[in-house]
Amino acid sequence: MKRLLIGLSLGLAVVAPASANSLVTAGPRPHIAESRFSASPTDEWNRLSRKDGKNVEIWTRDGDQLNKVTFFGGIPSGKPLVREIDKKHQPLPKVAADMLITDIPVLLESTYRIQYAVTQMEVDSQEPATLSGHKAIRFTYRFAREDDGVRRRGEAIGAFVDGQLYLVTYEAPALYFFDKDVEKYRKLAATLAL
Amino acid sequence: MKITRLLRAACAVAIAATGMSAVAQEKTGNKPGFALAPGTARIVLMRPTIWVGEQSTGGMAEPNADWTMQARETIARALADAQAGLGNVVISYDEGSSGEGALVSEYSQLFGAVAESVIEYQFFSGNRLPTKKRKDSFDWGVGGDIARLKSLEGGDYALFINVHDEYGSTGRKILQIVSLFAPGAAVTSGVHKGHAGLVDLKTGELVWLNADQQMGGDVRTAEGAAKRVSQLLEGFPGRPAEAPATAAAATASPTTGE
Repeated sequence: MKRLLIGLSLGLAVVAPASANSLVTAGPRPHIAESRFSASPTDEWNRLSRKDGKNVEIWTRDGDQLNKVTFFGGIPSGKPLVREIDKKHQPLPKVAADMLITDIPVLLESTYRIQYAVTQMEVDSQEPATLSGHKAIRFTYRFAREDDGVRRRGEAIGAFVDGQLYLVTYEAPALYFFDKDVEKYRKLAATLAL
Repeated sequence: MKITRLLRAACAVAIAATGMSAVAQEKTGNKPGFALAPGTARIVLMRPTIWVGEQSTGGMAEPNADWTMQARETIARALADAQAGLGNVVISYDEGSSGEGALVSEYSQLFGAVAESVIEYQFFSGNRLPTKKRKDSFDWGVGGDIARLKSLEGGDYALFINVHDEYGSTGRKILQIVSLFAPGAAVTSGVHKGHAGLVDLKTGELVWLNADQQMGGDVRTAEGAAKRVSQLLEGFPGRPAEAPATAAAATASPTTGE
């Protein structure tokens, strides 16, 4: 029993602390999400050390539950938007070479429903746009996750460039937080370059 | 029998280890300069948001309606008992004829998200956001529009309370033990967290928060709910100073956070 307790203690002790989040200051910012994405934010953001996927980077002001900008930088064909939690039982939809920009909102919705137990999600609007000179789609949406029940709003712009998906989303609780920071996101999105 | 003993041993070690990590994390925050003297404020006690369920072997939370109902009753009774000790005029939320029930529930859920963010990105120093590291920084809130709610008129502060409990299934507890022998794959069993926070009803700012990811007390029982409520309201800013305890009484009933 003594050995067992020592073993259990060591097992628990191996939980590693998270590495630090970093400050994003105003000014040029290249290679976002380890990709061709760059931007020149005019406001301060925090870059989370947490990575939800190889080419995924999250910026926030007050925490990702309260305001969250996610960069999906060049997700290639055959890969999901975020790292799969349960590949066998809950596989995520993948980016496909023959996708159209109008498939991007559907891809995001399907991913959220599976990965984050989102029970309600509606795409409210979608319109043609340009992302650094490339044909893109801008869309808005609403959703609620089962775990906290908070109603959130989202706004996004996405494009396919050289067969890879480039997508940026901004999400925040519909109450107070969305409006508080949406202009900061829009100013950031206006500086996106590929 | 062996399994039972093994479970007990694992739980004891898990509690000891998680207790150690909890020490490294703050649990209470105040807006700099905020003070609330006893008898100076009218506080609206919002309806607590309570969720109780089971944690499956795979870690998924599965709601349990019976447990949630039990916890709603026990927590409500424990809160009613605790109100008198808060040192201010505490009134329970009454929607009246305002029709604001859904919106007020949304504020409670938003408070939960804010409290979770404070825990994750302010209290836990290893994960603090750089913009929250600045001196005297405790800048959190639910927005000034809360001042427009008719059903909260006349209140100075709103006291929000969230309780979220997931009791680990037998399968989860066994998985927890098994995982301990696989380095880097530590699995926890059960989630017992709660938040209590005061929101300034003129500004929407969070002025005090007590939040813990590892609370005690089985909220499905009256005794456990009383313990939980006492932990939630620990350090409540408007509470009158306790009378000096005699040495004998202090020895007999030491106050502990856990």
